[in-house]
Amino acid sequence: MIDAIALLFVCLGLGECLHRVAGVPLPPSVIGLLALLVWLAAVRRERPMLQSVSGWLTAHLSLMFVPAAVGLIDEGPALARYGIGLVVATTISTLLTMLVTVSVFRFVVKRTGSGPAPVVTA
Amino acid sequence: MNGLLSTQAFWLAVTLLVFEGADRLSRSTGRHPLCHPVLLSTPVIIAILLITHTPYATYASATSVLAFLLGPAVVGLAVPIWARARLIRQLALPITLALCAGAVTAIVSAVGILSLFGAPRAMLASIAPRATTTPVAMQMAAELGGVPALAAVIVLFAGVVGAMTATPIFNRLGIRDYRARGLAIGVTAHGFGAARAFQVDPTAGAFASLGMALNAIITCVILSVVQLFL
Repeated sequence: MIDAIALLFVCLGLGECLHRVAGVPLPPSVIGLLALLVWLAAVRRERPMLQSVSGWLTAHLSLMFVPAAVGLIDEGPALARYGIGLVVATTISTLLTMLVTVSVFRFVVKRTGSGPAPVVTA
Repeated sequence: MNGLLSTQAFWLAVTLLVFEGADRLSRSTGRHPLCHPVLLSTPVIIAILLITHTPYATYASATSVLAFLLGPAVVGLAVPIWARARLIRQLALPITLALCAGAVTAIVSAVGILSLFGAPRAMLASIAPRATTTPVAMQMAAELGGVPALAAVIVLFAGVVGAMTATPIFNRLGIRDYRARGLAIGVTAHGFGAARAFQVDPTAGAFASLGMALNAIITCVILSVVQLFL
């Protein structure tokens, strides 16, 4: 278990490094995500511990951003002024993105003949 | 009493208890998107801070260990992506193109519409990563000069809208390809969408969580590149 946690922090540390030292403009955690993907592709074996550690973290993501969401307490004036704009922009953007993604996927599948048979890998 | 109100233990206990209560309520509604535990617990904690006259900075530093865990949690998203590598290889072209089109649409439409309301730059930076999962959106917003708290709330709202509208819209349009449905809801409504998709169909769920994780990467890459030219 310690090795799985260490692996996550090594990747995150690498992300911090590339972010601060090399100036890569991605958030350190996203660089870390990419680093872990490379590692998983390079060193292939079963990793039940890594799966359970990252699964535990993902399952509790919501709790981790509660403190950030509480930060809204200081955003009252901004919300009062642009609240409607935020609601309109977010709603339209959410619906539009959904329709564009679904249409492009179906169009390309039809064109390339990837077939309609659904692949279940849950 | 004043001493207690600045301790880590006190605010962590408050946060965990309020969240646990919200989580039970959410479970009792069958995980309705409007009853997401974050949406329920945030106003309660804000009320407690206001009643006790506690500045947000005190609360934030007392609970910083929770925010700290977001880093390794985002890194861990690589695991579910890798587990679905076979799906990605089988459908590489449709997944890549749909993902890129979705990510660009999300950014351009959100920023474009909000700027029509005359919103300042910090606010546009907070909405730009709105289609990514919350922790990534918060960090990317900060990177762009936005407000992480605003980004978090915008993303949660997008999740509610997506999770509540996707199934009726797709049914009305007669879209029965659950791969396309899943991917689309994951790209636009991240974790909320994935949770909803898993309730509807396992294939949709798998594609939704894939869409969510991949979109976190693509959106950040697009925004970083754009930022270099601004």
